[in-house]
Amino acid sequence: MITPRERFKETIRFRKLDVLPWIENVFEETILQWFSQGLPAEKATVIEFEMGRGGTTLLNWPAVKGFSACSYFGFQTLYGCIVPVDVGPIPRYKQRVLNETDRHVEFLTETGAKARRSKSGKYAWYSMPMFVDFPVKDRETWYEYRKRLNPNDPRRYPKDWNPEGYTRAFESYQDGNTMLRCNGFYSFGAEIMGIPTFNLMFHRDPELIRDMIEYWEYFTVESVRSAVETLKDRIDVVYWWEDMAERHGPCVSPKLYKEFFLPHYKRVTAFLAKNKIDRILMDSDGNINPILDLIVEAGINGLWPLEVNAGMDAVAIRKKYGNKLFLMGNLDKAELARGGQAMMREVDSKVPVLKEMGGYIPGADHLIPVEMTLERFREYAEYIKKLLPFS
Amino acid sequence: MRGKLMTDVLSIIAAAIGNLDSVDNTKAFVTTAVSQGLPAADIVERGIREGLEIVGQKYEAGEYFLSELLYAGSLVSDLLGILKPLMKNQQLETKGVIVLGTVRGDIHDIGKNIFKMLVDSAGFEVHDLGVDVEPASFVEEVRRSDPQVLGLSALLTTALAEMKSTLDTLGVSGVGSSVKVLLGGNAIQKAFAREIGADAAALDAVEGLEICRKWAQK
Repeated sequence: MITPRERFKETIRFRKLDVLPWIENVFEETILQWFSQGLPAEKATVIEFEMGRGGTTLLNWPAVKGFSACSYFGFQTLYGCIVPVDVGPIPRYKQRVLNETDRHVEFLTETGAKARRSKSGKYAWYSMPMFVDFPVKDRETWYEYRKRLNPNDPRRYPKDWNPEGYTRAFESYQDGNTMLRCNGFYSFGAEIMGIPTFNLMFHRDPELIRDMIEYWEYFTVESVRSAVETLKDRIDVVYWWEDMAERHGPCVSPKLYKEFFLPHYKRVTAFLAKNKIDRILMDSDGNINPILDLIVEAGINGLWPLEVNAGMDAVAIRKKYGNKLFLMGNLDKAELARGGQAMMREVDSKVPVLKEMGGYIPGADHLIPVEMTLERFREYAEYIKKLLPFS
Repeated sequence: MRGKLMTDVLSIIAAAIGNLDSVDNTKAFVTTAVSQGLPAADIVERGIREGLEIVGQKYEAGEYFLSELLYAGSLVSDLLGILKPLMKNQQLETKGVIVLGTVRGDIHDIGKNIFKMLVDSAGFEVHDLGVDVEPASFVEEVRRSDPQVLGLSALLTTALAEMKSTLDTLGVSGVGSSVKVLLGGNAIQKAFAREIGADAAALDAVEGLEICRKWAQK
């Protein structure tokens, strides 16, 4: 019997099995809304038994871990079994409320940023906060922050990290892909400096940016080394979070990308390739068309979510880049949310042709937003599932 | 001869900004222009704003992107910092007045601030109301400052309904009958602007500036 994992693995290698995988990710606020629209809670609530109260009692206790609608609707989640390497600042910043008004709450995040969230939205906690201050502002603050980025800190791996044991445990997982997550050079910088400052520093203090990116290459390779060298191609895909573009194009020009990022990408992807890990999926919203040649040269060979509103077109990319890039997403979430003919037109214009070309996993061009009602998602799910079998 | 020298140094300033030269070099060119006796208002109008024009063209041509735009904006801000104290008796021509803000329910402002930086550098007078702005506050500011443009920004799709609320509130109030409404932000599509009766939507800050310029010329 072919497993979901095998379907995923083979599809991103341009092979066709029995059924095309279908992958979606859903904002938790959307699932909360679906509960109010009739989604049975017991079908989407993820409960795991664990030692109670964070391991402080021997009593095994069911703990609600969140919500997942995938088995109910029949899609796979992109984030299957994730290799447990902690790539954040250690020690973490202690998350806490800094101040609060009748409309906003300002809080310190675990990465050291100050963020503000609105109290007025229906699902305010889940809405993207506005980041108002960042821990790294200049050379001095970068060197201070870097102390928390020791790749060899033993806390980066679970207390019970035993490569052979984990390999065996991973081998039994077949419900989806096994994924190693890395944070890209742009996303790392923007996350700790803020988008405006990080982008400005390429011009104002390029040596600082060089130092940060060079260190991030070292940190990335060394922090995941034990997992990569042990698990090797048991890791099905590396998820490279990079979010480096907006609607107009990438945040940095191809010239800057080539000068600052490309050599470091190549060294990380070469390290992965040396360990037989050859599927690297880059997650970037926005229009990355102007840097696609460089992305391919960097060793990235998969793209998600291919945001339609930003001008990304999976069919055009497939025609131009052939089998150099496997593709995921690219179904316009706004059209899917409209339902009916609009939804069908969007699905029909892409899924059959890309299915035939291969190397494509259908899904919305980002997480499913709150605009998608439960009724519309059910309609979409029923429709797309008919297109997935190869026979 | 003096006229030619003046033109030369202004062109050099414009080219330096357009080519994203270093802060030190660009400041030195501006200082030279000042030492040659050029009025600060001329340096701004014919040097700095010309340079910004080049940056906008390169952005639209796909040579420059966000990073370059932000640097150009910060460079211009530094140069204006040198020139503004020298402009006590000189008036810069104001291209128009823009009231700007992120609508109620949305607290994001990166895109709004980039747009603000551009239109401010291009000579518009900007009244920025900040984020999470109530419809009534927009109306009040339109009543008070009688702008040519009302700019509404939203990043979150969940805030789109607030754009319509703001337009409805403005319509009911009866103020600002001649104000043009420009929508911007990642959540915005042009069809949405038409749908709710806004005058235009800008898909990026440079397009927003161009739209404001066209409206200001009329």
